[in-house]
Amino acid sequence: MAYINDYAYYANSGAIPEDKNWGSYQYVSLNDVVNNFMLMYQGNHELINNLNRYQVLFHAKRGIQELNYDAMKEVKVLQLDLDDNLRFILPSDYVNWVRISQFLNGVLYPLTENIQTGWATTYLQDNNSKILYDQDGNVLKPQFSQVDTSFTSGAKTIYLNESSAYNTQSGWNVDGRWYFDFAVGARFGLNTETANANPTFSIDKQRGVINFSSIGGGASVVVEYISDGMEQGEDGSISVNKLFEEYLYAYVRYSLLNGRLGVQEYVVNRARKDKSSLLRNAKIRLSNIHPGRLLMNMRGQDKWLK
Amino acid sequence: MINSVRNTVLAIANKNNYGYISPQDFNLYAQQAQMDLFEDYFYQYNAWTNKENQRLSGTGYADIVKGLVEVIDNFSVTRSLAQQGANLFNLPSDYYLVNKINYYPTQITSGTTTAAALNTLTDANATFVTSGIKVGQQVANTTATSSYSGFSGFVISVDSETQLTLSYSPFGVAATIGNTYGIFNTTGIVEVERVNQNKIFYLNNSPLTAPSTGFPAYVLGGASSSVIGDANTGKLGNTITVYPSTITNNGSVTAEYIRYPLSPKWTYQTLNSGEPLFDINQADYQDFELPLSDEPGIVSKICQYVGIEIREGDVYNFGNQEEVKNNQIQT
Repeated sequence: MAYINDYAYYANSGAIPEDKNWGSYQYVSLNDVVNNFMLMYQGNHELINNLNRYQVLFHAKRGIQELNYDAMKEVKVLQLDLDDNLRFILPSDYVNWVRISQFLNGVLYPLTENIQTGWATTYLQDNNSKILYDQDGNVLKPQFSQVDTSFTSGAKTIYLNESSAYNTQSGWNVDGRWYFDFAVGARFGLNTETANANPTFSIDKQRGVINFSSIGGGASVVVEYISDGMEQGEDGSISVNKLFEEYLYAYVRYSLLNGRLGVQEYVVNRARKDKSSLLRNAKIRLSNIHPGRLLMNMRGQDKWLK
Repeated sequence: MINSVRNTVLAIANKNNYGYISPQDFNLYAQQAQMDLFEDYFYQYNAWTNKENQRLSGTGYADIVKGLVEVIDNFSVTRSLAQQGANLFNLPSDYYLVNKINYYPTQITSGTTTAAALNTLTDANATFVTSGIKVGQQVANTTATSSYSGFSGFVISVDSETQLTLSYSPFGVAATIGNTYGIFNTTGIVEVERVNQNKIFYLNNSPLTAPSTGFPAYVLGGASSSVIGDANTGKLGNTITVYPSTITNNGSVTAEYIRYPLSPKWTYQTLNSGEPLFDINQADYQDFELPLSDEPGIVSKICQYVGIEIREGDVYNFGNQEEVKNNQIQT
């Protein structure tokens, strides 16, 4: 990004939106990455020549995508209310989720993923369980399967432990939460992995929705997710943290050399090692390990555990 | 230089009264010789670039490539491209090779000239001050049929709402009155990348690399007129198709290209004796555009043509040997 003065940074030079440039200095734009690479790393006297810009653009974008998948901490957060089918439509730039929570009374309650399927496709069948077809020979499909309706209607799953000591017991509801008499002794049969009073969710990737169980329609859900950094195809908006800038050049250089004819193997290997070490460096830098922060963490080492 | 070349050639050819070279013939040979040497610069540039990479060329006075580039750069021209329709633009008729195509994404205003003057844009209907025209912005003549089509200049001063002072004269003659113009911001310019015809389909269909206004692309096409260089139709030379197809702003696409050298013309006055006398003041006079250091090469080339014309092998052989020797020195 080009250098800008303070007025442009803090007030966007009087234009709207005012916060357009806030924090922008930590990023380098895709335009700059491609431009710098074409200027500095390709040419008659460089390792790579006779290069099309779109090749650099492609590998630069691929590099940014890879960084977004695991190395960067660019988590996006989207809050939406569920529809009547207890579904949360995946964000348009969704690639993978980080954490999904229910926002209730000003508090975020992290939800647990139901690793069992909560959705299924089904075919229409007659009384003899024979599959029904339309006139074109295609199978007839209802909109929702029994699994779908069962899951979204809050039906019990294995996570609701009917063998629980609290099952069918009387308790007290205080501020929307249930309290029971303290049970003495061991409790068997509880799935500790999912021992959570909050609703569970299941991601239907094919349909592009998150299904929820045991949750009311209209409930507010917050999804923290990662994208690929492509900003819906807006090339001008794509950027990458400056800590990864050198890595990105190395990634593009390696990708180009690796795919070229007649490049010696030691040159490709050098580029590969260069890329790998720069990625490690960038990750360490981005992890923000400071002595002061470590000191605060280490202070807990002598804490007594009850 | 052209008179010196001609005198040298005549001296060589006439040494034993071999024959006489008419001015018309000389001009033809001069054009051929200049084109030959001009093209040779690009091959030399490539050869010497490779030698540089092998450490066979040095820096400073040993920097051969630098000298070659300086000569080639003399022929570099920047022109705004006339729009033929939608995203199709005409290349200038005098281009030898396209160096770069640039896209000016932000047009400030456009209009039609109402007067002509050197280094001036006058439009009685314009509101330059109100429109935010500033010093440094580019003004281009966007009338495809104008002989000044594509000529451009930078704003030096905003004189009034209706007049600008420019660094060049795209509207310098009376014939340009009524020509259209466009004024473009000179920030945010992006290079339009050359893509081969066989790649553009894949490029347009690739989500990651599809041309955008930030990374536009173009493909070179054939001439849009059946008569290449037909100035009457305004469809000159080849065309380029720019992608994304939303780039349709007339005057927003600019070419930096290497033009052909102008045809040399030895002009003269005819004396009563019939002897032509060199006259540099003729309107169509044109000297060689190659540097003075190329004079021996040009003489050698012309001697070869002359040797064939007057059927004198010695003259041809002399020119040929001189050229071979010259090439050996340079390599």
